[in-house]
Amino acid sequence: MAAAPPYALYVCPCSSLSSTTLAVHAKRASAAPADAQADEDSTFNSHDPRANYALYPLDHLLFCNECDCIRCPRCYTEEILNWYCPSCMFEVPSSQVKNDGNRCARNCYDCPICTSALTVAALPRPSETHLNPNETEQGRYILQCGYCEWSSLDQTIEFSKPTKITEQLAKKRKEQRRRKPEDKAVSTAHGADQVDGYENLMAFYKEQLAESGDASNTYSSSPYSSPANLAKIMSLYGGLSVNALKKAREKPQPMREARTDKEGLQVHSLDSSAVDEETVRRLQAVDWQDTPTHEQRFSGPLNHQAIQTNELWPVATPLRIRKGKRCSVCRQFLSRPEPKIPNLRYKIRLLASNYVPRLLLRPLNASSTTPNPAFRLRPNEAEMSPLQPNIMQQYLLTVRNPIFETVKITLATSSSTPGKVSSRVTILCPSFTVGPAGDVWDEALSSSTTSVATDDGGRQAAMASLTGKSTDEADRQPEAGKIWTRSRNSTSIILEVVPGALKPPPSIVPKSDDEMLAEELTEDKDVLEIPIFVRAQWDAVEDTDASASAGRKHERRAAEGEKVRKELAYWCVIGVGHIADG
Amino acid sequence: MSRPTPATRRSAKSEYIETDTGNKISRRSIIEGKQNIMLGGKSVVMAGAMLRGDLVRKPEKMADGEKEGPVTAIHVGRASIISTNCTIRPPHRISRGRMVFYPMRIGDNVFIGPGTYVSSAVISSNVHIGTNCVLSAFSVIRDNCKILPNTVVPSHMTIPPGSVVGGRPARITGEVGEGWGQGGGGEGEEYVEGGDLRALVRSIR
Ligand SMILES: [Zn+2]
Ligand SMILES: [Zn+2]
Ligand SMILES: [Zn+2]
Ligand SMILES: [Zn+2]
Repeated sequence: MAAAPPYALYVCPCSSLSSTTLAVHAKRASAAPADAQADEDSTFNSHDPRANYALYPLDHLLFCNECDCIRCPRCYTEEILNWYCPSCMFEVPSSQVKNDGNRCARNCYDCPICTSALTVAALPRPSETHLNPNETEQGRYILQCGYCEWSSLDQTIEFSKPTKITEQLAKKRKEQRRRKPEDKAVSTAHGADQVDGYENLMAFYKEQLAESGDASNTYSSSPYSSPANLAKIMSLYGGLSVNALKKAREKPQPMREARTDKEGLQVHSLDSSAVDEETVRRLQAVDWQDTPTHEQRFSGPLNHQAIQTNELWPVATPLRIRKGKRCSVCRQFLSRPEPKIPNLRYKIRLLASNYVPRLLLRPLNASSTTPNPAFRLRPNEAEMSPLQPNIMQQYLLTVRNPIFETVKITLATSSSTPGKVSSRVTILCPSFTVGPAGDVWDEALSSSTTSVATDDGGRQAAMASLTGKSTDEADRQPEAGKIWTRSRNSTSIILEVVPGALKPPPSIVPKSDDEMLAEELTEDKDVLEIPIFVRAQWDAVEDTDASASAGRKHERRAAEGEKVRKELAYWCVIGVGHIADG
Repeated sequence: MSRPTPATRRSAKSEYIETDTGNKISRRSIIEGKQNIMLGGKSVVMAGAMLRGDLVRKPEKMADGEKEGPVTAIHVGRASIISTNCTIRPPHRISRGRMVFYPMRIGDNVFIGPGTYVSSAVISSNVHIGTNCVLSAFSVIRDNCKILPNTVVPSHMTIPPGSVVGGRPARITGEVGEGWGQGGGGEGEEYVEGGDLRALVRSIR
C-alpha cells in the first residue's frame, strides 16, 4: 500500500482472502498451478496481489451495528445524495443534472491544457484611456489559468463582462464557426459539430413537439409530459377524445424528422478522401507537442476532435457528488453526510474505529519517538532506518479498546510471515484483556480520585517505552505470557520479530516469463508485514428484541438471557518497515 | 486571541517562546509584522518558518491625525502547526498598478508540513498538508482535506471539504474516509491526520 510504515491495515471479513472462505480458495487454487502457493495454514497473505483490494485503513471502514459486522467498500452500497460544483460550491438539483449534464452551468471553467481552474481576469486598459477610467467603455476580460500559461486569448476570446461566461462563450463559439468556414468541412466530417448538431436537433424536436399539438412542454416534468400518457388520461377523464381535441384545433401538424442542416441533420459522406487530405495537411503543419493528448481531448465534448492544442476550448467544471453509504445486508445507512455542501458533517456515521479494537506497533526501546510519518516536522528528520535481517527486534504492540466493555483479545499469527521473504514473528503474550473505553470525564475523574497510582504507572511506563530513558524500566526484560503495560483502555504486549533476508536472485536461470511474473508480484517484497488475526470477545448486555434482530453468526445467547457474548474477529496487517538489502 | 509577543516565559535554553495562550514560537522562526499576526492558542511556529505579517493592505489615504490600528494579515486558529521552513505569505493581486494584499485565515488543527509555501486565502480546520507543497495565491482549502506531499495547488483553486488532493497541478484524487480525524490524539497514542493536534503540540519542545 501507499502508506509508509509503520501502518496498520484491516481486512473486512467479507473478503474472500480472509479466513472464513480461505479453505475454499485454497482448494480452488490447488487446481490452478499458477496459484499453487496458497497457504496451507490459512494465513492472510498481505503480499497476495489481490490483498490490496481487501486491506483498508481503519478510518475508511464502517460498521453496521445491526449486523454486528465491519463494512468495507465491497459490502456497503453507495447512493448519490447531491451534486455540487467543486469550484463554486453550489449544489445542483438532480433535475438540472439530468437536463444539462454533470457540468457546472455557472461561470466555472477548467483549463483545457492542465485541468486547473480558470479565473476571469480583467485585461489592462489601453494606455490612452488608462488615466480616465470613468469613461463608459466596456471592459475586456479573459479566462486565465492559474497554473500554466493558457488563457482564452489563445483562442482570441475576450469577454465584455466578467459574468455570464457560459452565454458569452457559446456566442463566441458560434461566431468563430461562422468566421472559419474552411474549417467547417473538416470539423463536420470529424464530428466536431456533433455538439452543435445535437443542440440544433434538440431545438428542432422541442419545437416539433410544441407544434404537434400537445401542451407537454408546460408540464415537461409531470406525468402528463408524454403524449401517450396524456391521451390515456384524457380518455379516462375527458368527454372529448384526444383526437377529437386535436381536430378541434386549427391545423395540427404531424411530427416530422429533421431535414436540413439548421435542424440538426448531418449527412455523412462515404467519400472522405478530400477531408482526410485536408486533415493530413493540417497535421503536417503542427508540431508534435502542439497536438493535444488523449486526456485533453476527452476533457469535454467540444475538444474531442481538436487537432491542435490551440483549438481546445475551456472545459466546464465537472460536478462532484456527495454519497451516502448503506449496509448491503440490512440496508440501513452507515454514513450519511449533511446536505450543506461547504461543510462536511455527518447525520449518520457508524465508524469501524468506534467498534473495532485498534492496533498500534512501535519499536520497544526506540531512541526517538517514531510517530506517524505523516507528521514529520523537520526535513532532516530521518525516516525509519531499514530493518537489519536476522537480528531480533522487539516491538510494542498496543491494542486500544473503543467499546465500553472489557474485551478479551486473542492474537494469532503464523510463526513466519507469508510472502517471498519470511520473517519470524513471536507474540509473547497472545491472550489478554483490555479495559473499557470511557468518555473524557470518566478519565478525568478516575485519574483525579482513586486510581491515580495505577494510571500514573501506566503513563510512566508508556513514557518510558516512548523515551527509553526511565532507569527502573531500562533493565526490565520482556517475559513470555506477561503483558508489558496496561492503561485504562489499552494494553501493550511485546512482539519479537526476526526479519528475513532478502534473498539474492537465484543463480540458475529460470524461465524469463516466470521471472517477469515474480518481479511483478513482489513489488513491495522488502516491506515486512505481519498479518495478525485478532479475536475480540466481550459480554454485552442487550435488550432481547435488539439482540434477536441482530442475532447473527458472531453471537451466542448466554444461558442467563440478558448477557450476550459477542465476538469480533478480523485480520489486521501491520507494516513494520523495509528490510535492509544485503 | 493573543499576539506572539510579549512572551511571558522566557528561558535562554528553550527553543520555543510560549505565549499566554500556549502558542509556541521558535526563536529561529522569521516573523515580520508580528502586530498583524493572530495565533489562536496552542499553535506552533517552528524553526525556519517565515510569516509575512507585514504584507497587509495599505490604507488608501492616511489622514495625518488618525492612526490606523493593526490589521490582521495572518490569522491562525488553535492547535495548528506550521512546521519547519514553511513560508506563510498573504495573497495579493495587482489592482490599478498597486499590489493589494488580502488577509489569510488558517483554521484549527491544521498541520502544515515542512518546506511548504502557503499563500491561500482560506485554509479551514482539520486540514493536513504534506511536505514541500505550494498552495498558490487565493486558493481555498475547505475542512477535512488532505494535501499529499509535493502538491502544487494552483491559484484560485477551491478544494471541497473531505478531498484528497495531489499532483502538479493539484487534482482531487479521492476522498478521505468517514473516520478522518477521529480517534487518537491521546497520551501515548497515535496522532491522527486531521484530528486533534493538541497532543502533538504538547510534544514539541
Ligand atoms: Zn467488506
Ligand atoms: Zn461552479
Ligand atoms: Zn492551465
Ligand atoms: Zn447491516
